[in-house]
Amino acid sequence: MNKMVINHLDKLFVTNDAATIVNELEVQHPAAKILVLASKAQQEEIGDGANLTISFAGELLQNAEELIRMGLHPSEIISGYTKAINKTVEILEQLVEKGSENIDVRNKDQVICRMKAAVASKQFGQEDILCSLVADACIQVCPKNPANFNVDNVRVVKLLGGGLHNSAVVRGMVLKSDAVGSIKQVEKAKVAVFASGVDTSATETKGTVLIHSAEQLENYSKTEEAKVEELIKAVADSGAKVIVSGAAIGEMALHFCERYKLMVLKISSKFELRRFCRTTGSVAMLKLSQPNPDDLGHVDSITVEEIGGVRVTIAKNEEGGNSVATVVLRGSTDSILDDLERAIDDGVNTYKAMCRDSRIVPGAAATEIELARRVKEFSYKETGLDQYAIAKFAESFEMVPRTLAENAGLNEMEIMSSLYAEHASGNSKVGIDLEEGVCKDISILDVWDLYITKFFALKYAADAACTVLRVDQIIMAKPAGGPKRDQPAAGMDED
Amino acid sequence: MSLRVLNPNAEVLNKSAALHMNINAAKGLQNVLKTNLGPKGTIKMLVSGAGDIKLTKDGNTLLKEMQIQNPTAIMIARTAVAQDDISGDGTTSTVLFIGELMKQSEHYIDEGMHPRVLVDGFEIAKRATLQFLEKFKTLVLMGDEPDKEVLKMVARTTLRTKLYETLADRLTDIVVNAVLCIRRPEEGIDLFMVEIMHMRHKFDVDTRLVEGLVLDHGSRHPDMKRRAENCYILTCNVSLEYEKSEINAGFFYSSAEQREAMVSAERRQVDERVQKIIDLKNKVCSGNDNDFVVINQKGIDPPSLDVLAKAGIIALRRAKRRNMERLVLACGGEVVNSVDDLTPDCLGWAGLVYEHILGEEKYTFVENVKNPHSCTILIKGPNDHTIAQIKDAVRDGLRAVKNTIEDEAVVLGAGAFEVAARQYLVNEVKKTVQGRAQLGVEAFADALLVVPKTLAENSGLDTQDVIIALTGEHDRGNVVGLNQHTGEPIDPQMEGIFDNYSVKRQIINSGPVIVSQLLLVDEVIRAGRNMRKPT
Repeated sequence: MNKMVINHLDKLFVTNDAATIVNELEVQHPAAKILVLASKAQQEEIGDGANLTISFAGELLQNAEELIRMGLHPSEIISGYTKAINKTVEILEQLVEKGSENIDVRNKDQVICRMKAAVASKQFGQEDILCSLVADACIQVCPKNPANFNVDNVRVVKLLGGGLHNSAVVRGMVLKSDAVGSIKQVEKAKVAVFASGVDTSATETKGTVLIHSAEQLENYSKTEEAKVEELIKAVADSGAKVIVSGAAIGEMALHFCERYKLMVLKISSKFELRRFCRTTGSVAMLKLSQPNPDDLGHVDSITVEEIGGVRVTIAKNEEGGNSVATVVLRGSTDSILDDLERAIDDGVNTYKAMCRDSRIVPGAAATEIELARRVKEFSYKETGLDQYAIAKFAESFEMVPRTLAENAGLNEMEIMSSLYAEHASGNSKVGIDLEEGVCKDISILDVWDLYITKFFALKYAADAACTVLRVDQIIMAKPAGGPKRDQPAAGMDED
Repeated sequence: MSLRVLNPNAEVLNKSAALHMNINAAKGLQNVLKTNLGPKGTIKMLVSGAGDIKLTKDGNTLLKEMQIQNPTAIMIARTAVAQDDISGDGTTSTVLFIGELMKQSEHYIDEGMHPRVLVDGFEIAKRATLQFLEKFKTLVLMGDEPDKEVLKMVARTTLRTKLYETLADRLTDIVVNAVLCIRRPEEGIDLFMVEIMHMRHKFDVDTRLVEGLVLDHGSRHPDMKRRAENCYILTCNVSLEYEKSEINAGFFYSSAEQREAMVSAERRQVDERVQKIIDLKNKVCSGNDNDFVVINQKGIDPPSLDVLAKAGIIALRRAKRRNMERLVLACGGEVVNSVDDLTPDCLGWAGLVYEHILGEEKYTFVENVKNPHSCTILIKGPNDHTIAQIKDAVRDGLRAVKNTIEDEAVVLGAGAFEVAARQYLVNEVKKTVQGRAQLGVEAFADALLVVPKTLAENSGLDTQDVIIALTGEHDRGNVVGLNQHTGEPIDPQMEGIFDNYSVKRQIINSGPVIVSQLLLVDEVIRAGRNMRKPT
């Protein structure tokens, strides 16, 4: 189910992405905040599984409450939970699907099969379209050593209008701006990138033009013009057909660019400019001068198109251009687009996680049930009081299949009992098929979760729960009055 | 009531009321901190005005953050914080000891004893205890190669009272190695030479010691290398950016050519400096494929960065001043303040320099240095409060190790010292004291037991049982401490539980002083110009 959140800036979010929800909720309660922090850590580490972190930690604490009512001391619960999480990690490793540790991260099918569960949990029913978009984009930008995959290289451009079916992946970049000059289309061209503006150069110290007569004034303008023309001509002579500027473009410079048939783009964001450099393989020059042939980049085509009433510049670089890929998303409202973007972000993060560690475990709650069963067994072998805590830890895993079943409108009791029955008879890969509402073997459904996502989510959740349990007193200062404290400026000179 | 006549607005608490206010404040503070003592103590969660969370077990942090209002409590808290400033540990014990002394005094005072007599007794007992401590301490000879095991035991004892066990054990090695790394014979230990850096990343147990330096910024140019091996390190404090002259200067020109000339002239000075660095690089790096890293305390502007990048130099700008010192200690070489006389001797060396990007933050690691005298403790943790908690603990751990090296002595922990001192006071000192001051000695002796008592209480054990068992063993001549898991007496030496000598001495020194002051207060007067009651 989706939630509708309106934050303090009156911005509307319609999503079921836990990370976004907790981010916008501005949780005040300190203990709840610890869980939120755990989910944020998960979001930063993996980029997915925030919901599992929060719900599991919440479930652990809820069960801890029962234990405390039974008369257990929190320290015993902590020791039990710690033992249980260590055991869980051990079991989780055993559940890893054999042969999954080496995949070809460039094989679309293998990638999609691992990504599907993560994306489906955000956009159920649309995961097939989204996954193939994300997989295409990711595989395009995947570097030679997949471990160096950079999430930043998959861009998302949201354009209002159309539908998800109109979405596409572009090899290269899509800029949401128009070209500055009148040339709107160039093919197979060299690109010169200037980080500072394309204009007459200026000194740092204030300069004054000393003029005695009208003649001199005229001459001065002429020298000025000649200088700019010389520079632009130098750029044109070097073979470049496109000039990209990181700052303002002077009127006069633009005029000469037109004359020498140069296409002019303006990218004011420094990071966007760097990405553009990566896309085209060019080097940003600081001063307007004749570029080295090495510093020039290459694009297959740059065109200005109008999509849904917005003029966008599309820079494509098919061959060798495996540095940046852009997913052009189409959707009918802003909030749908935002939610799709979050699903894509999760997908891309999953890809990154699988580049680092591609091991997978059965999805659709099969892993959780198996963990619940095995940890429970483990608890019987313990002799101390912490065995109750371990047993509760095991029970907490049931939350996942229960919630899944409930959200799908199934009878949870029925599902749970049949899951347990299947697992007890040794079919450790049986999970829930949400569409048919029955229990099935995961290998038929082809639903897999990444091992590393589960690992971090469970570990962070257990950590957070133990932290909350260790607290015996909360001391709250009065809320500070006045306007909210600003973030300290990101200066480097702290010393 | 004479004050009432002088100033009818003044608030006065007299005699017993004043005394009880002080005693209650001390007891109150003791009750707050009691649960935090020892490895089995619980954590407190502090929520600041802005809603930020801080989790702590450290008495010092608690006292600082708690915003205490009561004047007596503030006095006690200050003593405890002073304790931390001097020895880095023992804040909770100080507060507990003070509270307990006040509590013990209360009994006697309620029975009609004059505080002055008690105070005299405290003084005698304090001196005797300090003498006893001298006899009781275990000497550790440091020499050139300090005994790592002892240092580890001390560090572990401190850290376990601040963090949970697994993490504490992991930090123990880190802390001890860090101090040994920066220790140089015949020089005091400057703990600032251990850089403490944190990354919000992974788990708390991934905290590690980097022999070298971690800087919290990266190179600012996209074309510079992200990873370099076998690097020469130039540590400098030279401005590599254009700076405006002090006087108000302006250019006059009458054509664009002239202006172009001005533009390049303006840059020439900076370019020359950059060129000198590049020359040095070419000199030392010719013929081998070593890399060259410039770490500058001042700025480097984009054109200079560009030139350096083209020359294959990694340049970092705006490093912290303290890091410049640390860099020199870690990598060798010297800090260069001018590029005029650069020689290869100024260069330091590091086996590996690489950049690590974490979200928005960049970190630069300088590792595999030859003979480090500076190192970095890299704290990792999933969120800010974990990191803050580890940071406080690491600081205390470092201090504990430093104290041990400087004291050349340790004291048996787990309550062993307190019980032994108490037995000594009751069995021997008390008999030598004349008159009512004996009671003061007794009160002091009983107050010492607060540490083992609280330790037992926090572990869910029966306090009386534990104390009886411990004193019994001590009477038989065995020095034992408390086993927190079972409640049985143990030999702290066997278990490796050692406390700092200076910490214990400071507690015994400062506790009675403040208690004497508080007991001898007979009137609390709140008067002055601004006497509006806080409503």
